[in-house]
Amino acid sequence: MFQIRLFVGIVAILFFIATFEFIRKGRLREEYAILWLSTSSIIAILSLWPGLVSVLSEATGLYYITAVLAIFFSFLIAVLMHYSITISKMKETNKELIQKCALLELRVRDLEHGRSQ
Amino acid sequence: MDRRVAVVIPAYNEEKSIAGVIRGVKALGAGYHVVVINDSSRDGTTRNAEAEGAVVIELPVNLGIGGAVQTGFKYAFEHGFDAAVQVDGDGQHPPDQIPLLVEPLFEGGVDMVVGSRLLASGYRMTFMRGLGIRLISLFLRTFTGMSVRDATSGFRAVNRGLMNFFARSYPQDYPEPESLLLAFLKGFKVAEVSVRMDYRKYGNSSITPFRAVYYMTKVLLAMFIDLFREV
Repeated sequence: MFQIRLFVGIVAILFFIATFEFIRKGRLREEYAILWLSTSSIIAILSLWPGLVSVLSEATGLYYITAVLAIFFSFLIAVLMHYSITISKMKETNKELIQKCALLELRVRDLEHGRSQ
Repeated sequence: MDRRVAVVIPAYNEEKSIAGVIRGVKALGAGYHVVVINDSSRDGTTRNAEAEGAVVIELPVNLGIGGAVQTGFKYAFEHGFDAAVQVDGDGQHPPDQIPLLVEPLFEGGVDMVVGSRLLASGYRMTFMRGLGIRLISLFLRTFTGMSVRDATSGFRAVNRGLMNFFARSYPQDYPEPESLLLAFLKGFKVAEVSVRMDYRKYGNSSITPFRAVYYMTKVLLAMFIDLFREV
């Protein structure tokens, strides 16, 4: 049990440091940083205070390690959902930009040739 | 005719057929203006279209049929056209049928006219395609009371009101059936008229039997969710 806690704790701390570094270097936007920082914080808290996981595993009937995995898994699902939403939004803005670009390009060509629509 | 009609032709690698379609539209008279949306073709679509005197909008990246047609609606709306007609660049939609779509718009009472190959008998299509069209038609009838038999038809005309709406929001992947539903939900009136359609001369349909099931699932799911959406 101790090894698991040590392992999870180290992972959480490395994760926390990595997130902090990415924000500092401007490679990660704050809106994602909040998600990642809270993820690593919660994992760290759980590894320091395993009683919390025991409460959860008793309440849900899951084994200790399964409960840990379930917590990880829920976070990953949340992050992936967030990505799907972000990608959808980017596809929409990307499409709008492509269309605007094409319409403006036509306008430029018409101006160059002295045509008016 | 003093009204101005934009004939929007989405084209992806249609160098063989595009010129014929444009000539057909030009033969209709001075009120009809051709706008080709070249969806990043790698062939001579733009060259051949410009040689026939069409306005060509070139998308720098391939957007697919929905994004291409929407670009045409945006153009037509910005340039003050009274109606926009969508016509395929592959020669399936005979230009001499365009007035049949446009006239009901100008008579008033309808905002969108869909050209149907199914109202007259005898059009051949694959079993899967026929089944899909029936399912979509059933969906529309059940949830909206709309009676459109050929909801997948890409041969259609819209007035300025709908042009404006579609310029702002238009489905992207398989837009034909879903755009009918969105128009209905927004309070526009849709009518269907019988037209003649030809079989494509070059290239293959974008809908293969393998994609048909995916197509149906996607379209019906999207339409179902639209029922709960604020359009």
